[in-house]
Amino acid sequence: MEKLLTLWHGSGIYNLTLGQAVMILVGMLLLYLAIGKKFEPLLLVPIGFGGILANIPEAGLALSALDQAIEVAKPAVLQQLADVLGVTLDAGASAEAWREALKGVVQEGTSADVLRTARDVAVGVGYGDGMLYSFYTVAIASGIAPLIIFMGVGAMTDFGPLLANPRTLFLGAAAQFGIFVTLLGAVGMTTLGWMDFSLNQAAAIGIIGGADGPTSIYVSSILAPELLGAIAVASYSYMALVPLIQPPIMKALTGQKEREIVMTQLRPVSKREKIVFPLALLILVVLFLPDAAPLLGMFCFGNLMRECGVVERLSDTAQNALINIVTIILGLSVGSKLMADRFLAFETLGILALGMVAFAIGTACGILMAKLMNAVSRMPINPLIGSAGVSAVPMAARVSNKVGLEANPHNFLLMHAMGPNVAGVIGSAVAAGVMIKYLG
Amino acid sequence: MQDMQLLKEGLSLMALGMGFVFVFLTLLVIVTTLMSRFIARFFPEPVAPAPSPGAATSRPAQDNDSMVAIAAAVHRYRRRRR
Repeated sequence: MEKLLTLWHGSGIYNLTLGQAVMILVGMLLLYLAIGKKFEPLLLVPIGFGGILANIPEAGLALSALDQAIEVAKPAVLQQLADVLGVTLDAGASAEAWREALKGVVQEGTSADVLRTARDVAVGVGYGDGMLYSFYTVAIASGIAPLIIFMGVGAMTDFGPLLANPRTLFLGAAAQFGIFVTLLGAVGMTTLGWMDFSLNQAAAIGIIGGADGPTSIYVSSILAPELLGAIAVASYSYMALVPLIQPPIMKALTGQKEREIVMTQLRPVSKREKIVFPLALLILVVLFLPDAAPLLGMFCFGNLMRECGVVERLSDTAQNALINIVTIILGLSVGSKLMADRFLAFETLGILALGMVAFAIGTACGILMAKLMNAVSRMPINPLIGSAGVSAVPMAARVSNKVGLEANPHNFLLMHAMGPNVAGVIGSAVAAGVMIKYLG
Repeated sequence: MQDMQLLKEGLSLMALGMGFVFVFLTLLVIVTTLMSRFIARFFPEPVAPAPSPGAATSRPAQDNDSMVAIAAAVHRYRRRRR
């Protein structure tokens, strides 16, 4: 009988908390969106599955050795940990109360030395880091995974349309307005007392408006790792929603005449220009914003590999095999941040709402900028390509093309929209660099 | 009061960030334009050799074929996307 009880106490059903159950459902929902609705499946499948894994009771896949020991260890070990952490445990209270007390101390943050000693105790009695926790440490906490993805994106990007019409860079700049308005929104909500975001957290939320998954993961891993799960989920789900969010805004801000504007054919761009461009961009980063160097440096490196034409094999690996491997690990690591006690908070709703606003404002600003440029320049510019300034390559450019075709079936805007689209990637990386410089 | 401080910081970060993004991308526009001109001026692309007559005749047919394929694909894509 006693053995049976032990088995029962070790089972998932006995230990499942309400929060974990809800988070497993959230993970299932993400899987449904990815598989059933084709929302960014490449990322949402690993993220959703990682989220489910992270919430398996007792398994502690997403916990560090110390957290795990606190979660499941015997009272004797808890006593040992309490000694190290300098907590006095109430002898009369239950083991559960002890665990809560220890958890509180670890989360409040004590000195790094003490935490290290406590960790040694936990490892000493046989607890290890969970698998997802290790993934997270290696891939995201170190910043490596988003950067390798950025290199792959660089290797997939063709700067031709941008080089043929460099002024579209302004559209990519204007669309970054969404980032900063959202930051202001998050700060405003705090001022009004609705939410409680610090400036760092607000900045990390704002980056969702950059519509660039790796950039937002990179920034939030530096500025607000505690919000990373919600931010990554918001930014990838909204990227998938670009075809739904953007068209109404685009139609509201432009007239039929403007949507019909036919743009002049892009000039051909020579190979030399394409090779020199990433180097020129890199030099500007070196001179003006070294804080954006990790992101833009890897991006330029990937692009140079693509364009120089002598390292086919490396470029091929960067844009296929490597980016796929890293995507799997990145997705699972993000999933590890979908733990109930961190994700099921009122703040998450705020982040989802703000992310949506960020997208909408970025789109609107890009279009308004394009209208302005059309008014002042000799060359006609169709305002629809402005919305592609929120990166989300190549989805946003396709949306511009589609809305343009609805207005005029012979007007192909795709190549024209690719210019602002890749400009948006550069723009959001620059904005990320500024934020890291200012707050990091 | 501390909240007002936060709001102020947010505003200054916004002004600084937006300003910097524009300055940086403006510089990039200038550098790119200069770079393109420089390359066009001093390292012009070698003139493409005149296409051989055989290639010239087969081109249009091929283009028609691919146009048909593209049109069909676009049509199907749009249908699926409603």
